[in-house]
Amino acid sequence: MKHTLEMRNIVKRFPGVLANNNVNLTIQAGEIHALLGENGAGKSTLMQILYGFHSMDSGEILIDGETVRLGSPKDAIALGIGMVHQEFMLVRRFSVVENTVLGLREGNGPLLDLRRASEKLKDLSNRHGLALDPAAEVGLLPIGVQQRVEILKLLYRDARLLILDEPTAVLTPREKDQLFGVLRKLREDGRSVVLVTHKLAEIMEIADRVTVMRDGQVVATREIGSTNGQELTRLMVGREVNLRADKSAQKPGAAILQVEELRVRDETGHEKVRGLNLEVHAGEILGIAGVDGNGQSELAEAVMHLREIKSGRVILKGADVTRLSVALHRTLGISYVPADRRHVGSVTEMSVADNAILGLQRKYRRGIFRGIREARESARGLVARFGIRTGGIDFAAGKLSGGNLQKLILGREIMRGSAALVVEHPTRGLDVGAVEAVWGELLRARQEGKAILLISAELEELLNLADRIAVMFEGRIMGVVDAAGASVEEIGLMMAGITAPGAAAAGLGNKEAHRGETL
Amino acid sequence: MNGPQFAMTAFVVTWLTASLRLAGPVLLAALGETFAEQSGVLNIGIEGTILLGALTSFLVSFYTGMIWPSLLAALLVGIAANMILAWMYVTVRASQVVAGLVFNVLALGVASAVYRKALGNSAVPESIAMFQPLHIPFLGNLPVIGPVLFGQTILFYLTIALAFVAHFVLFRTNFGLALRASGENPAAADSAGISVYRMRYAGTLISGAAAGMAGGYLVLAQVGLFRESIVSGQGFIALGIVIFGRWNPLKATVAAMVFGACDALQLSLQIFGTHVPPQLLLALPYIVTILAISGLFGGKAVQPAALMAPYIKD
Repeated sequence: MKHTLEMRNIVKRFPGVLANNNVNLTIQAGEIHALLGENGAGKSTLMQILYGFHSMDSGEILIDGETVRLGSPKDAIALGIGMVHQEFMLVRRFSVVENTVLGLREGNGPLLDLRRASEKLKDLSNRHGLALDPAAEVGLLPIGVQQRVEILKLLYRDARLLILDEPTAVLTPREKDQLFGVLRKLREDGRSVVLVTHKLAEIMEIADRVTVMRDGQVVATREIGSTNGQELTRLMVGREVNLRADKSAQKPGAAILQVEELRVRDETGHEKVRGLNLEVHAGEILGIAGVDGNGQSELAEAVMHLREIKSGRVILKGADVTRLSVALHRTLGISYVPADRRHVGSVTEMSVADNAILGLQRKYRRGIFRGIREARESARGLVARFGIRTGGIDFAAGKLSGGNLQKLILGREIMRGSAALVVEHPTRGLDVGAVEAVWGELLRARQEGKAILLISAELEELLNLADRIAVMFEGRIMGVVDAAGASVEEIGLMMAGITAPGAAAAGLGNKEAHRGETL
Repeated sequence: MNGPQFAMTAFVVTWLTASLRLAGPVLLAALGETFAEQSGVLNIGIEGTILLGALTSFLVSFYTGMIWPSLLAALLVGIAANMILAWMYVTVRASQVVAGLVFNVLALGVASAVYRKALGNSAVPESIAMFQPLHIPFLGNLPVIGPVLFGQTILFYLTIALAFVAHFVLFRTNFGLALRASGENPAAADSAGISVYRMRYAGTLISGAAAGMAGGYLVLAQVGLFRESIVSGQGFIALGIVIFGRWNPLKATVAAMVFGACDALQLSLQIFGTHVPPQLLLALPYIVTILAISGLFGGKAVQPAALMAPYIKD
């Protein structure tokens, strides 16, 4: 691609869904073009078509006015189009240079020439300010560096158009700034960047133009200078939204859930939680911030004893529950809303009614039989109470939208009446309306006096909901801050593993109830 | 040289010579299997493929009397049979374990039926022309290592050479890189413009060719006749050798030698007479293999990440 790329009247139909409905998009050389939209708006589908992963049902793609055919990623690469997927397409056990030359046919016939490729790679990384060791094994590199490998892969193929799908989701604020620096250099170089994202602040910061998609259609394309965040949100959601949760002031009660010197390993034997301490009080939301993969999931699973605990203690209402079964955890008053709604939180093949009593089967029974009527009644109550939109309680839970499924799971766990609640990424992948609803329910549970441990990668969510925010990095708590006076910069530094002096003290100082040694 | 010393030397020479001799066919099969597994396919069907290769080479040799064409025929039959397997593994995306095991049962039935059809039920097994051990001048006359290292058949040296070739192809060529990427992260390979399906077909067919040839090796260089029980689990042992060898052809060569030494030890001990029950000795190589496959000694950490995971392009 030399100058402009045009997608004209793109239509793509999946069974039951019109993913792209007559989409038009023009990308100029040397621009950073943001593609904005909620989940399911059709952005990813459009980009997959552009990268040759999906075929389109009708429409046309033109480069400099000439129609091109994109039947596979190979075609796209040959035309100078490259993509960095949200999940990196890297072979973890290969070195950086092996990942780079993968799939290329270079001058040397069938033989690999890694030395020459390394030279070229070094040259490229110097030129674009992407420091890298070509011989390093990719799986051992930090996420931010892996992303650099992905970008270098594209530059090695001399991609003129780089598509980045939600590139900042896995980055610390500092890594994000570095990435944006690289993107600006690429723009100066005359290359084009398509940034697929739903983060408005980032678009306003770096993009030249933005195209907003909703329900498979392009709603508008704007110059960044002539728009603002509010207009873009309205275009994206289709209505006025003010995502701000109103949290009532309330004094937290006694400590309900305590974690002491917890150590947990992952499947490969790496220690993911390394001597972690925390304390959640009644009527309090303790937020856990951090970049994904710093031990948050392992922490949540260990608290429920869904994962083997190496050492340390989990204390619920004063009683040591560390090594008790998951069922006993639940009976004793702790509920869990897992990050993976479809595989852990629910059994998608089963009905809404059955999912509504999942984990409560012992309560709804008559002797050795199920108490089906009572269970159905309670399911109906749950659907009504939490406003779950479903075709009926006999519908398969898997057919619910992400937001409604989450409301079902959250509702089920809240209705159990547990004193403590562990919630992991409750709004990941949900649209704005559903986020509002989930936030509302969590705050209501807080008001009812539950102790809530909220794990989230979205700072906005934590700042809105949590009373205190603990930042996790490489299995440890870097510091705890009061959500009320917290600064994003401070939290961001801790997410990158840099302790801001006095952060922990400031967080604790505002609440006298907390003692230094517990957090 | 006094008596016991002479007996000891004789024992060691017989043992080591037999070790290398027995290591040959399993190593050949393991080299092929390494390609299949590096591409992401666990090809259990090599057990049956070895049997088909053995039958083919026996029949071709029996009717034509020519050795090399018999070996080539075994190789071709191995490829043909593994076309079916590759289709099941890659295109149909059947369970690789189930498809492979069922194929082995099928191969046994086919081999018996064809053998009976071709030769009738004659009581005396027919024997055929075979590869003979080479006699390499000078080197072959060295004490101990002469007969052990330089008194094997040409197929043994060919197999060792193929181990080096396999290593080079896997780790030093674009094809090898693409093949390994397909077994490690097929989605990444796909997005790099590599056809994962083609790589996995290639891996499976290479393992088929090698297993067919291994069958020919057994008949043409070791046994000289065909029996239904001729393979007796050597395909499974090759699977163990791949794991022992950490999916690396050169390490697999060493692993195959260790296996051969176990196997030969039981033979030699039986000849020299010991008080250990022969059944126990017979089981030795299989026990070693089970331990290797069990993962008790690691291996999970280095196996191709997408081994046995069918790739669905969405």
